[in-house]
Amino acid sequence: MLVNDKPLLSIVTHSPATTIGVTLVTLHLLNAIFAPLLIPYGSTQLAGMPLIAPGHPDFLLGTDVIGRDFLSRLMMGGRTSITVAMIGVMGAVIIGTFFAVSAAHFGGYYDDVVMRIVDTKLSIPGILFVALFVVGFGRSVTVLTIVVGLSYFPGAVRTIRAQALTQVPLAYVKAARLRGESALSVIIRELTPNVIEVVVVEFAIRTSSAILIVSALSFLGLGISPPTADWGLMVSEGVNQIYEAPWLILLPAVFISTLVVGLNFASDGIANALGLDAARGLGGH
Amino acid sequence: MALLDVRNLQVAYRNPSSDDQTMAVDGVSFAVERGETLGIVGESGCGKSTLARALMAYCRPGGEIVGGEVLFDGTDIFGLKDEQIRALRGSRMAMVPQDPLTSLTYHMKVGPQVDEILRIHQELDAKGARLHTLKLFAGTNLPEPEKIYHRYPHENSGGQRQRVVIAGALACEPDLLILDEPTTALDTTTEMQVLKLVKELRDRMGTALIYITHDLTLTDYMCENVLVMLNGKVVERGQSSSVFSAPQTDYGKALVAAIPRVDAKIATPAQPNKAKDGAPLLKVEHLSFRYPSRWSVSALFNPVEEPLAVDDVSFELPRGETLGLVGESGSGKSTIANIIVGLSAPTSGAITFDGAALGATDRHRSPELKRRIQIIFQDPLSSLNPRRRIESILTRPQEIFFGVTGKAARDRAVELLEDMELSADLLKRFPRQLSGGQQQRVAIARAFAASPDLILCDEITSALDVSVQAHVLRLLRGIQIKTGAACLFISHDLGVVKQVAGETVVLRKGRAVEAGHTSGVFDNPSHDYTRLLLAAALRQENYADLVEQASRTEIVGNEP
Repeated sequence: MLVNDKPLLSIVTHSPATTIGVTLVTLHLLNAIFAPLLIPYGSTQLAGMPLIAPGHPDFLLGTDVIGRDFLSRLMMGGRTSITVAMIGVMGAVIIGTFFAVSAAHFGGYYDDVVMRIVDTKLSIPGILFVALFVVGFGRSVTVLTIVVGLSYFPGAVRTIRAQALTQVPLAYVKAARLRGESALSVIIRELTPNVIEVVVVEFAIRTSSAILIVSALSFLGLGISPPTADWGLMVSEGVNQIYEAPWLILLPAVFISTLVVGLNFASDGIANALGLDAARGLGGH
Repeated sequence: MALLDVRNLQVAYRNPSSDDQTMAVDGVSFAVERGETLGIVGESGCGKSTLARALMAYCRPGGEIVGGEVLFDGTDIFGLKDEQIRALRGSRMAMVPQDPLTSLTYHMKVGPQVDEILRIHQELDAKGARLHTLKLFAGTNLPEPEKIYHRYPHENSGGQRQRVVIAGALACEPDLLILDEPTTALDTTTEMQVLKLVKELRDRMGTALIYITHDLTLTDYMCENVLVMLNGKVVERGQSSSVFSAPQTDYGKALVAAIPRVDAKIATPAQPNKAKDGAPLLKVEHLSFRYPSRWSVSALFNPVEEPLAVDDVSFELPRGETLGLVGESGSGKSTIANIIVGLSAPTSGAITFDGAALGATDRHRSPELKRRIQIIFQDPLSSLNPRRRIESILTRPQEIFFGVTGKAARDRAVELLEDMELSADLLKRFPRQLSGGQQQRVAIARAFAASPDLILCDEITSALDVSVQAHVLRLLRGIQIKTGAACLFISHDLGVVKQVAGETVVLRKGRAVEAGHTSGVFDNPSHDYTRLLLAAALRQENYADLVEQASRTEIVGNEP
C-alpha cells in the first residue's frame, strides 16, 4: 500500500523511534480491543484477598485494595480513556477541519470571527476549562468526550487553517471557482483533500495528549467514575498504598506512558516520513 | 596547466524505494583555463546543477560522487579533508545559485552577510570587512551601497539581490566562479544588466567562469566554449558560436531549433479562423485597475492611493485570432487576464464580450459565459488539484458545464488527451506523476473541455524547457485551429509571442506603449521600451547603451 508514493512499511519504519512507537500503539490497541476476551477475572469483580503481591499463581499481578484482579483491571483500564480521547479528538478535528478550511477559503470577517473565537478559547487555561466544565455539567463519559472535543478544537483549527492557507492562493482553486463550483464544493472537494495529511497528524498527536488529560481528570476525581477500571483512577486509588504496594500506581503509570510515548513517536515519525516536518505547515515533496 | 580539470566525473542519486542508483552525471570530462568562460547547457534534469555542485565537492542529500576526479589547480578536491575544502569554497572557488532570495539569509541585512565571507576567509576585522563590502557593492553597480548594506534581502529587487550574491561570490576574488542559472528568476532587461556586469568583472579580474543555463542564446552571448548535456552525458562540445549556429548532433540541432527567435524571419502566423464579420469577440476599452489600499491606522489620516496596476488599456481581439500581450513582470499583463476571466473587478473601463458587456467578476456572470472564457495558468502543477486524478480533472468541467458524466465524459477526456498527444493511460495518474510539459498539456485539455470561445494563456510556457515549450505551443495551436477559439496570449518572451500572435500589445507598468501587427511591432518598433525588450531578447551588445539612454528618459525606472 502506498501513502504519498511511499510504501506504508517504509513509513512506519522511518526511524527506530517510529518503529517503537508504532509497535507500542499497535500492542495497546490490540489489548484494548481484545481485553474482554483475555482477562482472567471481571475487571470489577472482587476476586480474592486485598493487596496480594504480584507473582501469585492465581493473580499474576496481584490484587488491589479491595481484592480485584490487578492484571484484569490494567488490561481493561485503557478502554474508556482511549475511546473518550479518540472520539473527542476526532470530533474536534473533523468539525475543526470544516471551520479551518472554510475560514481560509472565505477570509475576511468570517475568518476573523472564527479565529477570534479560537483565540478566546486558547486563552483559557486548559485544565481549568475542563475542570469547570465537568463540575458544571456533571461527571459522565459523554460530558468528558465533549469537553475533550472542545479542548482540542481551537488547536486543530489553527493548524489546519495554516495548511489550508498555503493551498487557497493556488491556481487549482481559482480554476474551480472559475468553472462555477459552489463554495461548499471548493471547500470539501478541492481544498480538504489537500490538508488531509495535517488533519491525520493532528489527530494522532492530540489523541496522546487527550489520553493524558483524561487520565489526569480521573486521577483528580473529575473523570471516569469508579468502579470502572481506568489507569488514571487506579493511580489515585493506589496512592494511599504507595509504600506497601507501589506496583498499584507504577503499573498503570507505565501503561499510560507507554501509550502516550508510543503515540508521540509514531505520529512524529510518520509526519516526518510524509515530509510534514516540525512546523507541520507545508506539505513537502 | 588548466585551472580546473574534470576527468570522467560520475555522480549518482540513490533511489529511495529501491537500492539501485540513478546516474545524474555520467562520465563528464572537461577543462577550464584561467580567464576562460565555459557554458554548460541542457534542459531540466540533465544533471547540470548536480555537476556544478560536484565541482565544489558537494552533493544534494541522496547524491554521491561515485567516480572520476576534479583537479583544481592541480589538486584532486575529492582527496581533500573537509576543512581544506571549506577553505577553498568561497575563497578560491565560488558559486552563484539560481534563486537569490533563498540563497540569502532572510533575517540578516545583506551587507553583514557579505562581511561574514570576508571575515572568515580573509580574517578582516568588522570595520575592514564593512569597507570592503561597500567597495564590492559599488563594483557590482548597486546604487547607493550604503543604503543597500542596511537592507534585508526582501527589501531589494530581484536584480539587486542577485548582484549582492555576486558581490559575495567575488568577495575573495576567486579563481573560479560557477554561475548556476543566475538570471533565470530575473526579467530580460535585468538579466542583461547582470550578464553585462558578470562579463565586465570577468575581464577585470581574470576569473574563470562556468556558466550553467538552459538558454543557448545566453551561452552564445557569454561564453567562448560550450558543453551540451543530455541525461548526465556531454553530447556536444565546441565553440559556443559554432554550436549555436551550426550544431552537429541531433540533440543540439533540436535544441537550437526549438528556441523561439525574435529575429527569425517567420511570417506572422496566419489567423486561420478569421471571421467574416467585423465585430470583435473581445473588446477592452480604457481598462484600469488599482489594488485596494490596505487598511491601517495611518492610512486613515494620510490616505495614499496605490498606483494603477493597469492604466487605460484598450485592445480588441477578433474571433479565432491570437493576440499577444507582452511585458515584463509588473507590467500588469496577468492582472488584465485576471480581470477578463473575472477573478478581480476592474477599477474602471469596459469589457465587451461577443457584443455584450461582461460582468465585473465571475459572480456576476452566467455559467454559460464562464464556460466560454477559459484560462490556462503559468504553473501547471499548482493549477491541477494534486489530490485528483487526471480523469477527474478532465471530466469535472464537462459535468459542470454540459452535465456530461460517466462513460461519455471519459471518452471525451480520452479524446482531449489525444489532441494533446497524451496517452489514455494518464487518466489514472495524479498530476505529480506527470512531467511539467505533460501537466501543462493536461491543463490545456481541461480548458478546452469547456469548448471555449476565448482562451487566456497566462505565461503558459515560462515554466517549461525550450523543446517542451515548442511542442506545447504546437499542440495549443492545433487545438485552437480545430475548435476556432480566440486566444489572448500573455508572455514576457518576445520570441514566443512572435511565433503565435497575429497582433501584439506591448505593456509597460500597466500602460500599453505600443500595439499593432506583430511583425510591424517587432520589425519597426516605435517605442523605446519595445526596442529595449527586443535588444534584450536578441542579446545585443548595444543593449547597455539602450538601458542608459532609457534610464535618462525614465523608461526604466529605478527599482525599489
